[in-house]
Amino acid sequence: MTDLMISAEGLSKRFGAVRALDKVNFQVNRGEIVGFLGPNGAGKSTTMRILTCFISPSLGQAKVHGHDVFDEPLEVRKKIGYLPQRAPLYTDMNAYEYLQFAAGVRGLDASTFKSRLRKVVEVCGLAQALGKDIQTLSHGYRQRVGLAQALIHDPPILILDEPTSDLDPNEKAEVIRYIKEIGKDRTILLSTHNLAEVEEACARAIIVSKGRVVADGPLDEIRGKSGRSRYTVVFNEKANGKSGAPPTATEVQDALAELDEAKGVRELPTDEREHKFELTSPEDTDLRPDIFSLAVDKGWTMLELRRDTQSLDAVFRELTRGDEKLDRGERWARASDDNDDDDFDDEDDEDDDQDDQDEDEGPDEPEDDEPEEDEAEEEDDDDDDDDDDDKEKD
Amino acid sequence: MSPMLTIAKREFRSYFDSPLAYVVFCLSFLFMGVVFFRGLLGFGGFWQANRASMQQMFELIPIGLTLLVVPVVTMRLMAEERRSGTLEMLITLPVKDSDVILGKYLGALGLVYVLILGTVVYPIVLFTWPYQLGPVDWNTVGSGYLGLVLYSAATVAIGLLVSSLTQSQAIAFFVTFFALLSFYFLSRLAQVLPANIGVVLNYMSFEPHFQPFARGLIDTRDVVFFLSIAALALILSFRALERRKWA
Repeated sequence: MTDLMISAEGLSKRFGAVRALDKVNFQVNRGEIVGFLGPNGAGKSTTMRILTCFISPSLGQAKVHGHDVFDEPLEVRKKIGYLPQRAPLYTDMNAYEYLQFAAGVRGLDASTFKSRLRKVVEVCGLAQALGKDIQTLSHGYRQRVGLAQALIHDPPILILDEPTSDLDPNEKAEVIRYIKEIGKDRTILLSTHNLAEVEEACARAIIVSKGRVVADGPLDEIRGKSGRSRYTVVFNEKANGKSGAPPTATEVQDALAELDEAKGVRELPTDEREHKFELTSPEDTDLRPDIFSLAVDKGWTMLELRRDTQSLDAVFRELTRGDEKLDRGERWARASDDNDDDDFDDEDDEDDDQDDQDEDEGPDEPEDDEPEEDEAEEEDDDDDDDDDDDKEKD
Repeated sequence: MSPMLTIAKREFRSYFDSPLAYVVFCLSFLFMGVVFFRGLLGFGGFWQANRASMQQMFELIPIGLTLLVVPVVTMRLMAEERRSGTLEMLITLPVKDSDVILGKYLGALGLVYVLILGTVVYPIVLFTWPYQLGPVDWNTVGSGYLGLVLYSAATVAIGLLVSSLTQSQAIAFFVTFFALLSFYFLSRLAQVLPANIGVVLNYMSFEPHFQPFARGLIDTRDVVFFLSIAALALILSFRALERRKWA
């Protein structure tokens, strides 16, 4: 029995003039929970829809559980449980009827359905909601019903498209707990914007940007992908320095920025007693002695100094920065960025492959303005069948 | 139960989980009762005809189906699935696209047939029990119902096709309404047009193909006509659903 559960080879998809996917390659093996990350419009939902045989690729090949998504769609669908974004359900049914319908379409007999129902009700926490009309359920419970229908036939593969969107923090934590629970004996491809969820539930992530895979590997490997180290340094805001006065935030920021190889110095929120800053340097450089010397020279009281690899969040922002700029129409990107990457060539530069993309995405200072996902529209807006699902995301 | 029948059953039941089926049933029987017995807008009432015949009913029901029942019943079939996103959930279950189309079709057609079945009360009450108003020709009644079955099969398929092409139930309703209205009365337009065009329109019109059934004449050409329309509309609906893959 093969361990390869999902494979995509050179997967491309065009919606009219829009290239939603561009030669996407990845593989998911048995038992893996893989986070599928990317900003809105990056191609996550399109990839998942191809894997679930809802749409067909323009080019390339995808296999699920050894079955080609184009040639054997029914076999593929039997092997997967799929939860589309926002868990669209028939609101005129109650949860039990809906699960019965899903089981009926999947060909489960009555006794199998009953035994499976007991299991999914337990795993998804649906006992209270089973007899209620779906239209009266909260988003959280609807997601649970959606998860339950994806699990009702005990599939070896689960494909979940933003299962935590629209949920409150408690509900998100619950859904992630379910995913971890059900992922113990399944292969799961989990699409989400929430990087904390990926760090909690997944050992591996695939990051897509502008229809391309820009990172694929264990989380630690991805964190180290930017080749930069991150430092967190905290100074006492009340203690006097050699100048006889306590350090100001501007003073600390300027001093840190002057250190060789230091980039991306920014103040982090903290209380009134301390200045907390974050900065980065190339991974082969250690700035800690310099920062310590700086504190000694200035007479500042250092409360904390920590060095680690970059956070997944920062790496994600670096790798997907081009999408954000495109969304904002920044074709006139800053001169410094021009040297770093080619964010706007995706429609024109056919020769630009993923490796080039990875290499081009050089380290840069983290941007203070967090990418706002609601700026973007899904890549398949042109697809009048599907666009409603994709436009509004967290 | 096959996936197609499971979908059909869900679709049929969903009409009764909302007020839609009840409203359609009430309005249809009210409209039919009034027009059948009192006459309205050029339709002679049953009493005015003064003979033991159900022909008035078989002239009336197709118009009721065209104006109200079929557009209302079919408008949500695929349009609502697309709008709400449930289509993605449905299609990614292990079902063929053709199962989805046929399941939806059978569900909607089932509701229309239940409505038509309800009208059987009229000939029974008038000519069997409790009233015996005359010797009705039951063969003619039978052929009339066969005509209604075929007419419904064709019109529901057209409604499904229109619903497959849009996400808006309102658009689906109006397009189906005007399409069915046009097809039904094309033959009347043909009367004022040049003969060569008139022949074509007359052939395409539903009314000339339905009238023989109402008069007790079962013509194979008319049977094939309605079945062909239904098959063509279903095939096009299937293609419209498949279109999502390549959009």
